[in-house]
Amino acid sequence: MAEDVFLADDLLRQLMSVGEVDLLVGMSSHNAANTVSQAVRTIEESLQRNFVRQRVVIVNVGGGHQDEDSVVAKGHGNLVEKDVRLPGITSLRTSHRVTANFSGPPSPGIALHTILAAADLLRARACAVVSPATSNLTSDSIANLLRPAYLEKFDFVAPLYTRNKYQGLLARNLLYPMSRALFGCGIRELFSDEWGFSGRLAALCLNQDVWHEEAIRARPEAWMAISAISSDFRCCQTFLGEKSQAVKGPGTDIVEVLRQTVGTLFWCLETQQSLWLDCQRSQPVPTFGTAHELTSEQTDLDRHRIFEMFRSGVTELEPILSSILDPETHSEIRSIVSIEEEKFRFKSDIWVRTLYDFAASYHHAVINRDHLVQALAPLYRGMTYSFLVEHADSSPAEMEAASEMLCVEFELQKPYLMERWKAKVEVKS
Amino acid sequence: MTLQRDNLWYKDAVIYQLHVRTFSDSNADGIGDFAGLTQRLDYLQELGITAIWLLPFYPSPLRDDGYDIADYTSVHASYGSLEDFKTFLAAAHSRGIRIIIEMVLNHTSDQHPWFKEARSSRENLKRDWYVWSETDTRYQGVPIVFVDTETSNWAWDPISKSYYWHRFFSHQPDLNFDNPAVFEAVWDVMKFWLNLGVDGFRLDAVAYLVEREGTLCESLPETHAIIRELRKRLDLAYPGTMLLAEANQWPADVRAYFGDGDEFHAAFHFPLMPRMFMAVKLEDRKPIIEILEQTPEIPGSCQWFIFLRNHDELTLEMVTDVERDYMYDEYAMDKTMRINRGIRRRLAPMMNNDRRRIELLNGLLMSMPGTPIVYYGDEIGMGDNIYLGDRNGVRTPMQWNSALNAGFSLADPERLYAPVISNAVYGYQAVNADSQKRSEHSLLRWMQSLLQVRNAFQVFSRGTIQFLNPSNHRVLAYMRQFGEETVLVVNNLSSSAQAVELDVQRYKGFIPIEMFGRNLFPRFGNLPYLLTLGPYQFYWFQLRRI
Repeated sequence: MAEDVFLADDLLRQLMSVGEVDLLVGMSSHNAANTVSQAVRTIEESLQRNFVRQRVVIVNVGGGHQDEDSVVAKGHGNLVEKDVRLPGITSLRTSHRVTANFSGPPSPGIALHTILAAADLLRARACAVVSPATSNLTSDSIANLLRPAYLEKFDFVAPLYTRNKYQGLLARNLLYPMSRALFGCGIRELFSDEWGFSGRLAALCLNQDVWHEEAIRARPEAWMAISAISSDFRCCQTFLGEKSQAVKGPGTDIVEVLRQTVGTLFWCLETQQSLWLDCQRSQPVPTFGTAHELTSEQTDLDRHRIFEMFRSGVTELEPILSSILDPETHSEIRSIVSIEEEKFRFKSDIWVRTLYDFAASYHHAVINRDHLVQALAPLYRGMTYSFLVEHADSSPAEMEAASEMLCVEFELQKPYLMERWKAKVEVKS
Repeated sequence: MTLQRDNLWYKDAVIYQLHVRTFSDSNADGIGDFAGLTQRLDYLQELGITAIWLLPFYPSPLRDDGYDIADYTSVHASYGSLEDFKTFLAAAHSRGIRIIIEMVLNHTSDQHPWFKEARSSRENLKRDWYVWSETDTRYQGVPIVFVDTETSNWAWDPISKSYYWHRFFSHQPDLNFDNPAVFEAVWDVMKFWLNLGVDGFRLDAVAYLVEREGTLCESLPETHAIIRELRKRLDLAYPGTMLLAEANQWPADVRAYFGDGDEFHAAFHFPLMPRMFMAVKLEDRKPIIEILEQTPEIPGSCQWFIFLRNHDELTLEMVTDVERDYMYDEYAMDKTMRINRGIRRRLAPMMNNDRRRIELLNGLLMSMPGTPIVYYGDEIGMGDNIYLGDRNGVRTPMQWNSALNAGFSLADPERLYAPVISNAVYGYQAVNADSQKRSEHSLLRWMQSLLQVRNAFQVFSRGTIQFLNPSNHRVLAYMRQFGEETVLVVNNLSSSAQAVELDVQRYKGFIPIEMFGRNLFPRFGNLPYLLTLGPYQFYWFQLRRI
């Protein structure tokens, strides 16, 4: 019996003491030993400043290293002693902190599973997940994540950030336009370290039998958003300003990033077929604050190296790509690989068709799905190179227009994906 | 029964606050009087209170509910005669009930003979008994108390053609305590009542006795010196008489009024009261613990007086803006319920007549450190009438029975000083003392048993307090200790059942005995002590090591 129980007794004991709450802020302190203290303080400040009457709790999921959780977890038995007294701020209620300790480092999926369980048991009305690794986490940004869910009854609150125009290219060229075209909901930052959600979405997600899935363990937030869309829950975006990381994420390894993001997106396509196959058109997402903000700092990205990696990667993966891509698409790719660097462009229609081929092949499992997603890496590099060249001098408005065009392209070609998706099923049957 | 000789009686007292006018009318003129009050003393004795605090009953034009005194040594004709008072006093004492009366030292009515003389001419011997000025520019910057009605602390006297100082209404000129004759006159007044046998004074507006240029004219060292002199004379000539300070200030500021145990015996703990209400609404012990942690130690002979409701509005002076907004939103949504910076409502309506919450708040009041004050009518759950002006909505006639005028008076209803409460929920047909006496589970009977337990243990009145801080913030638990007496109090502030684990390691081996039923609970051991409490339930455990 005991091994079937997900929630540890110690955590349950702490939750009993907290009781029902209005707001819950969850975080995983793993790998954030240096910043967790500041993060907790910022969360406390945000809650005390913005939600003086509400019942609030901070849930920290930690494990592996004692030091990272010490700030949060000191003295489980006495939550009052853990109150942070902020000068000039009056909170009417006891603010609670709860720590779930795992023996090893908890994956993001385990962390979220724990946070959702806490939210459900405490009947939280609105929740936010934040990352202690975000070095410029502010009191306002946390409140901005909570408010739409708490006050406006939104179920999923995605963040929006001020971005350098060369930042977030994967989201701009793939995740956002593709998810918008397929699921009909234009959430720009489907994958993020910070987001908000309602208690009812927490309950819905908690009760899904997905927590053992690799895609969920690595990056569960997109699945949460898509679950909200599929249940006709209300989604919105909220502007949080600039984002900077104190701890380097997996962003340096594009293959790993693709596995976590595109892999999860494809997995969601697989598990939410009925949703996107029936979805006719995308709807704008209500946005609190600025819809998008781009800055134009210079980039140190080595375009030549990116192009070389594209070319060598495609050549190297030729046999794999031939099994993934439609022959026509494959032929297009082979022809553009031979174009010299200066003249090379990855046209958006080919890029969209390439991705749809990958998605369909993922569905039909033509090769190992993990390998399939990894095979996208060189092609993504090709797209990135093309983007950097095309938009070297583009203004934010021009970039935004290009982004919109790409979204339209994804929507236009959606029937192509649907055809490939269904066709193969018919062959199989 | 006679009064016990104990100079610290005020520490063990349970005080009942009333206005003679509101309690019982013996001569059918529609106004309560001392003869009527005397007839009701058995009721109060049965309730278990040990002292009565009487609101002003002096002759007065009644432009400030009697705090505008026109004669310090007599009784307002509406309430009877001095003889009636003496009879009442003796009857109360014979039942072991002490009497605390109001004494307004800071000012008189402008109808007081002293002021009439003082304004009659600049040469009058009593001229210097008040604070006069040729201009209204002295003591600039001193706050005006009644900003709704007054524009200055100076008022023009057309008779003597000069300004006089008043911190309250302009018809209440301040006495000049720089004049030794004033002090002696006031002392003579106090001696008058002490010689009759009163047991204590609530000194009104004590912070404002003395004025000095360049100050806020509040709580000045000269004011403290006057209080010390009064106290010295009192201890010498009338030992065992209590002085109670009315100072609506933060505990740290009120602390000065205890001096080194040589000024006031007691003072109100104003900030605790709204926080008890807040804690129950928030279902969180934080407000109570925070304010008690900020409360300084006081000399051993001194005592805080604590209360839930009184004749004034539930004052929200001693809370933050955020807390005040919360209190208004939760307890006074209807703006008619608000007055000044407070809420003019009684306990039961504020609790939506929820018996469990009324009991919990009374349980808190009786188990917190300090001397509790019960406002008349709250022991039966009387309602209020927010449509009466000022704070008169909480000053309606006491509801004795379901007969005419709630048994308060035989006068025609139109003649009553105020209408009785007559709505379906709180009306006298539904809420009255007689029917509650006959009902075993009435609030009145419950209050009687509460006071009985409270009065049987000095630990409640004199003991130290130590909070246990269990992880469940909806549970407020504390140990009270005095000599060999140890009591554990556990309160569920929440509307739902709660489990709580108490760290009672220090008391390992003690047996908790539930104090109302005298039932034994399992002995404290090594493990945290698990208790479950129903909504708004509280336990008082006497701890015994056997």
